[in-house]
Amino acid sequence: MSGLQLQALLPIITLSSLILIQMMFIAFARNLRLTVSISVIALLLTALSFFPMVDHLPISATPLIQLDGFALFYSGLVLLGALMVTFLSYDYLRDQGERQDEFFMLLLLSCLGALILVSSNHFASFILGLELLGVSLYTMMSYPTRGLFTLEAALKYLILSGVSSAFILFGAALIYAIEGKLGFTELAGMNHTSAASGQFILLMGSTMIFAGIMFKLSLAPFHLWTPDVYDGAPAPVTAFLATVSKGAIFALALRLFTTTGLIDLDPLLRGLSFVAMVSILAGNLLALLQDNVKRILAYSSIAHMGYLAVAFVVAGKAGGQIMAMEAASYFLFAYFLTTLLAFSVVTIMSIADHEVDTTNLGDYEGLFWRRPALAAVFTATLLSLAGIPLTAGFIGKFYIFSIGVAAEAWLLMAFVVIGSGIGIFYYLRIIFAMTKAPRTDVKIEIPTASGWVAVVLTVSLVLFGVYPSPIIDLIGELMISFG
Amino acid sequence: MYDLIWLLPILPLLSFCILFATGGNLAPRWVTMLGVGSIGIAALIVGVIAWFWLTTGMREPYLYSLGPWMNVAGFTPTFGFYLDGLSLTMLMVVTGVGFLIHVYSSLFMADDLDFSRFFAYMNLFVSAMLVLVLADNLLLLYLGWEGVGLCSYLLVGFWHAKPANGAAARKAFIITRIGDTAMALGLFLLFMHLGTLEIQPMLATASATWQTGDSIPTIAALLLLGGAVGKSAQLPLQTWLPDAMAGPTPVSALIHAATMVTAGVYLIARTHELYLLAPMAQATVAIVGVATLLIAAFTALAQHDIKRILAYSTISQIGYMFLALGVGAWSSAIFHLMTHAFFKALLFLGAGAVIFSLHHEHDIFKMGGLRKKLPVAFWSFLIGSAALTALPFTSGFYSKDAILLAAFEHNPWLYAGGLLGALLTAIYSFRLVFLVFFGDVKTEPSAPAGPRMAVPLIILCFFSVVGGWIHIPVDEVFPVVAGPSHEGPVALITPLIPIVGVLLAYFLFLRRSLDFSGFFGSGLGRNLKAFFFSHWGMDWLYDKVFVVPYTAVARLNQSDAVDLVYEGVANLTSIFHSLIAFTQTGQLRWYAATMVAGLVLLIAIVMGIV
Repeated sequence: MSGLQLQALLPIITLSSLILIQMMFIAFARNLRLTVSISVIALLLTALSFFPMVDHLPISATPLIQLDGFALFYSGLVLLGALMVTFLSYDYLRDQGERQDEFFMLLLLSCLGALILVSSNHFASFILGLELLGVSLYTMMSYPTRGLFTLEAALKYLILSGVSSAFILFGAALIYAIEGKLGFTELAGMNHTSAASGQFILLMGSTMIFAGIMFKLSLAPFHLWTPDVYDGAPAPVTAFLATVSKGAIFALALRLFTTTGLIDLDPLLRGLSFVAMVSILAGNLLALLQDNVKRILAYSSIAHMGYLAVAFVVAGKAGGQIMAMEAASYFLFAYFLTTLLAFSVVTIMSIADHEVDTTNLGDYEGLFWRRPALAAVFTATLLSLAGIPLTAGFIGKFYIFSIGVAAEAWLLMAFVVIGSGIGIFYYLRIIFAMTKAPRTDVKIEIPTASGWVAVVLTVSLVLFGVYPSPIIDLIGELMISFG
Repeated sequence: MYDLIWLLPILPLLSFCILFATGGNLAPRWVTMLGVGSIGIAALIVGVIAWFWLTTGMREPYLYSLGPWMNVAGFTPTFGFYLDGLSLTMLMVVTGVGFLIHVYSSLFMADDLDFSRFFAYMNLFVSAMLVLVLADNLLLLYLGWEGVGLCSYLLVGFWHAKPANGAAARKAFIITRIGDTAMALGLFLLFMHLGTLEIQPMLATASATWQTGDSIPTIAALLLLGGAVGKSAQLPLQTWLPDAMAGPTPVSALIHAATMVTAGVYLIARTHELYLLAPMAQATVAIVGVATLLIAAFTALAQHDIKRILAYSTISQIGYMFLALGVGAWSSAIFHLMTHAFFKALLFLGAGAVIFSLHHEHDIFKMGGLRKKLPVAFWSFLIGSAALTALPFTSGFYSKDAILLAAFEHNPWLYAGGLLGALLTAIYSFRLVFLVFFGDVKTEPSAPAGPRMAVPLIILCFFSVVGGWIHIPVDEVFPVVAGPSHEGPVALITPLIPIVGVLLAYFLFLRRSLDFSGFFGSGLGRNLKAFFFSHWGMDWLYDKVFVVPYTAVARLNQSDAVDLVYEGVANLTSIFHSLIAFTQTGQLRWYAATMVAGLVLLIAIVMGIV
């Protein structure tokens, strides 16, 4: 292993060792502030450790890890998400008794899993990252705070995740049976047009892997768990699940299917188109008359994943692959900002309530009069989710539209349009609720860390909605070194 | 030097932003400093620029480029500020008169709770008006055009607690909107055929591509005229201006007398090359002018409300400007625009001083004998009315005389109409003066207003007298026309007619030696009076022709068939929602089962079985 390859592992090594250090501190010098500080330092150091190799991309470190611009971009997103969730969790857990330190270690472990996922180039590292991400997440989800049904959510997610992992493993086994390889790059030379039986098994295997990934991304028809888990889990954990976990798995899926060339298989694209359309429709329809803000966000994320899947399908159509990857990456970036911001508002509201997570639409009534700034932030978030101009969400959706139109995927575009139309209704419903007369005038305290998270995210949301060029340029630059 | 012009619209805009952002939390002293100061500095800059322009030989049109606005599919409008003799004249009027009115307002509005909001709107208005005047591109001009329209709406409805004021504001906004739509169509047409909206290149291309009398320039000129008659309150879109008097009096002086309502005149003067290509459109301008000035003058004779008299007189005077434009006396139109700005602002501010001292009394029949009690207002009115009537050696005399003589050269009928208008102008102006300031005291006034209101009046008095000797620097802008000959009976009759009018007014309203009360008591006379009073029944007519049928159709369509489609979509969506919501059972076994079923379905689709 050359020095360069070792360098490519540096982020993983850095994060792992800091997790160990943190564990030691938790064992011998238990102090929440200290633990959180170590978490923040760990995330920042990990981010820094990427910089020495920027000029040497792409690097393959062992057959398992492939570091390129693509991995770099998504690693950045994962670390950003994890950092924001760390701050939110600190405020959220601070007043919940003694046993909160381990939570932050689990968060870092999950983050490690996500980092492995975005740069994995092999089924082995894929499964490794997936399970590392998942297992820590189940535990975080079941953290007993604020009288939530956390255990129910965690158990549901655990068992159904098991099913999905089984899909993935079985699919990988089928592919291995035909090709005898597990590395993505090696699989690129797959003979797709071999004997009919081989083709059948290959398709079967890839469909099963697809299904497993779709579950994690909460794409229909594997989406039913989403609202229950979103609702049951503590708000910061939901934020983590919605952004870091989904983002990392999406990145992996994009790499897996483009590198191996599976994306060129028309039958698979047919399946994916179906999933995209059903997700957009189901997500938006289910959210329509929902009265629970966390569940609305869950359904909305189903729909958003549907929009992302559209980018995926378009990437498969000849010609626009790089453009589609750019579109998907920007869309995901906007989704990260928006979703993190939405959950930071929910977190702040929940902290103010003390008892349980503030999820009822009724609890948001009159927020405009009680805390105008918070309501304005939430409004910006919802408008971004709805894809209204001057927000990052608009640019993301505009991107999806433009690649869809360029690829002439009219049926998919029709679904995106219908979905967006329905979506505006329930986003505006929340905004409308916030302008009603307040039920109470109890003051909402905004905790420092979460407040700053909200400020930073709001500024980015508007800034990149008005002036998206820096991010677009960055994505374009990083995608060149992909593959 | 000239590149200072970019500051002009920015300064009032900045002040507007500050006043708007502070939302009335600023002390009145600071509001005054900002609101009046920003216009003062702008006026100062204009003064310096004008001094340079007039004293040095640098009279080449100057373009300050602001760069392209957007670049979409080959549509790259570049914006800039264009300074030439015409825009300089307008700048002087807008900032000079505007500044005086702002100073006056700082006392007139001092007791108003929304003092800060008032100055915010006024500054925004001046900013938009300066954009309108300086625009080198019809698109940018349109921005200013709509901007002043918005401010007019906001300021007419400034005292919005009274529903009638809101109605007046809406009326002003909607009726001018009809004209604006025509103007927008005109812009589209010009852009389609000429490929640009930058005024100077566009006009050059127009002159190069079209022959005189071609249909496209005629249609375009008529559409622009549509915008101009809306904004300048000319026939048939003039009905909004009298109602717009619901706004505070300084607003009437600034927007509805001196600046905004003359924007239509400016627009036509700015694009006069286009009208030279379209003689038919230009003739229409003249006819609209004469018809308007006569109808408005007759109406003014019958009014009781001091501000409404002035409003109709404004409509009538702008009619003179349109007449001048229509007969090709471009510089006389702009000259009259300037002198009118002086004396009409003076009259409105004088009326404001009267109203201020009489506790918001508007009816001239409840006033009287104020000559001694309110000397400043009296002299203002006397000088203003003299100029309005065009008595010799006042400013209005020079401008109106030039217009009437030019009209005579063009067509004697137009001249006759203008002359009759001049007679009526004299009668209604001095009817006002005699009723309000002479005779018995009917309402006791409080003490006259302080110096911040008196000084602007005195300055405007000065300009109303000597304004006629100003030579406006528009010689390079307009084609040179041989000055009308000042000989023969026409040159004698023209200045005499106003004097006759004043004498008539004297015998009718002061000496009362001429008495038509018998005639006006009879059925015909009463009806005639009511007819004039109602502005020739135009509001009634528009109500019957447009509003009533429109509301009837709207009522018919109350349960809109088209709406059913949208309601259907909404209902369908919620039905789908309740159908699909069944799947969300919360039961793990069901979730796991659907996953397996989903996988089977997916495989079926991928394999092409379904």
